[in-house]
Amino acid sequence: MSKSKYQVVPNGDSAITIIFNDDISESLTKKIINLSSTIKQSLGDALTDIIPAYQSLTIFFKNEIIQLEKLINDIESLLHLPLTEVSYQSKTITIPVCYETEYSPDLIKLAEHCKLTVEEVISVHSQQCYLVHMLGFLPGFLYLGGLSSSLSCPRKSTPAISIPAGSVAIGGNQTGIYPVSSPGGWHIIGRTPLNLFNLESESPFVANPLDKICFSAISKAEFLEIEKRFI
Amino acid sequence: MSLYFIKPGLQTSIQDFGRTGQMHNGISKSGSMDPIAMKMANWLLSKPLESAVIEVTLIGPQIKFENDMCIVITGAKFELCLNDNPIFNNTIIKVSAGDILNFGKLLNGARAYISTSIDIDVPKVFDSYSTHLTVNFGGFNGRALKQGDRLAFNLTNQKCIYTNKLPNYAGNGYSGRYILRCTASVETDLFTQIQKNNFSSRKYTVTATSNRMGIRLKEFAMEFEQPLDIISSGLMQGSIQITPSGLPIISSVDGQTIGGYPRIANVITADLAILGQLKANDKVSFIFISAKDANQVLKKQRQLLSFLSN
Repeated sequence: MSKSKYQVVPNGDSAITIIFNDDISESLTKKIINLSSTIKQSLGDALTDIIPAYQSLTIFFKNEIIQLEKLINDIESLLHLPLTEVSYQSKTITIPVCYETEYSPDLIKLAEHCKLTVEEVISVHSQQCYLVHMLGFLPGFLYLGGLSSSLSCPRKSTPAISIPAGSVAIGGNQTGIYPVSSPGGWHIIGRTPLNLFNLESESPFVANPLDKICFSAISKAEFLEIEKRFI
Repeated sequence: MSLYFIKPGLQTSIQDFGRTGQMHNGISKSGSMDPIAMKMANWLLSKPLESAVIEVTLIGPQIKFENDMCIVITGAKFELCLNDNPIFNNTIIKVSAGDILNFGKLLNGARAYISTSIDIDVPKVFDSYSTHLTVNFGGFNGRALKQGDRLAFNLTNQKCIYTNKLPNYAGNGYSGRYILRCTASVETDLFTQIQKNNFSSRKYTVTATSNRMGIRLKEFAMEFEQPLDIISSGLMQGSIQITPSGLPIISSVDGQTIGGYPRIANVITADLAILGQLKANDKVSFIFISAKDANQVLKKQRQLLSFLSN
C-alpha cells in the first residue's frame, strides 16, 4: 500500500495543517507556495495567517466564519484538483558576508569538525546559491536549502545567549542568517552588514520563499564600508 | 500630554490585539495576553475595543500623570492607590495632573490592563501598536517601559462621562486553579493513549520561567520510548508542546511562528485569555473536547460578553 502524499490535520480549533510526505525539495516548496496563494484567494477574510514550511502548510482561520471540519473537507477537495501554477518571479539576491575572525567565532571549530581548512569552508559556502524554502523562527529568518553535506555540523548542545544580527551560521544541514540578535544554537561562520529585517524599508524582508540567496565573501574593510550606509 | 514612569514594574508594555498576516515572515502576533480584560478596559471608557492599552505584569508600576484624564484598570487585581486613596478595578477613575498611581501587592491573576481616555501616542508597526518584546519592535521604542520614561498621548478632547457598567459575572477574580479545555493538534495522534490519559489527568504547576513566549509547566515529565519524529509546521497560540525533557510548554503571543516539538493538544480559543493570568505556582490541568464543542464554548462566551463585540 502506498503512503498517502499528504494529511490534513487540525492544529487547535482555529488552524489546520497540511503535512506533505514528500522529501524537502524545490518542487515541494513550489507546490506549497502555489497552494498557499490559492487558499489565500479562496478563503479571503476568513483567513488570518498562512505559514508555509519545508513540508507543511498551516492555515489560521476565523472559526466564527468557517468551521474546522468544513475547512478540512474543502482543503482535501482542493488538493485533489490540479494546482494552478502561480508564476512567481524568483529573485537571486547576493548577500555580502565577511568571514574574518572577528565575525566568525565558530568558523575554526566548524572547519575542524568538517575536516576542511577555513578557506575551504568559505569557498564551499560562498560558491553555491541557496533556495529560500520559508521564513520563520525570527522576523525575516530565511530557511535555506542546498548546503553542501561537507559543511554539515550538529547544532551546539548549549545555545549561545546572544548572536549578533547579521550573523551567518550553520546548524545541522542548514545555513541561515540571524536577522536580529537572538539566542541560537548554530555555528557562526561570518556576518553580513545588510539589514535583513529593516522596518524603515518599504519591503522589510530581503527575500521570499523560492528566491535564491548567494553569499559573496568580503573583507572587513568592505563590511565596515557597507555597514556605514545603513547607519 | 504624558505619563511619567516613576517605577516601571516588572514588565510594563503597550499592547493591543496584536498583528495578523505576518506569521509567514516569522513575525508572531504579540498583543495583550488577556484580550478579554483588555477589551473590558476599553469598553468601560467607551473606546474602540482594539485601542492600545498598558499591560502590567506581576509587579505593577508607579505612574505620575502629567495631565487630566480618565483611566480604567482591569484584569489582575492589585492593591491600587491613587495618591493615598484606594481605587479598584473595573471602575472609571478620574485623574488630574500631578496624581500618582501606585500598584501595590498583587492579589490575584498576573496581568492588569490600563486603558486611558486619551490615546497613547506610539507608532503602528505592521498595523499594530503592540510591543514585540522578544524582537524589540513596536509599542514604546520596541521595549518594556523603564524608570524615567515619558509615555506621550495624542491631544484629544474627551470628556469623562461614561455609562458602561460591567455585568456582575464579568468582574470576577482569578482563582489560580484552572482547567484548560483543549482540542487536537498536529501531532496529537503520535502520542499513545496512555500518554494522553496521563496528560489530561495530571495537575501541572506553572513555573516562574513562563513569559509572553510560552507558559512552562512542571511536575509530570512525560516518558517516551523513542523521540517522536515530526515535521515542523506553523505554531498556533495555545499549542501544548512536549519538550525533550517531557515537560509541556504552552506557546503564547510572542512565541515562534514555526515549531519543532511535538504538540499533544491545543488550548481552545475561548480559554486563551486565561493564559495571560497564569503565574508561578498556579495549577493547571487539561481536558480534551471536540472542535465542535470548542466552537460552542466560544459562541457561548461571545454571547455572555456580547457587549465586547464591536
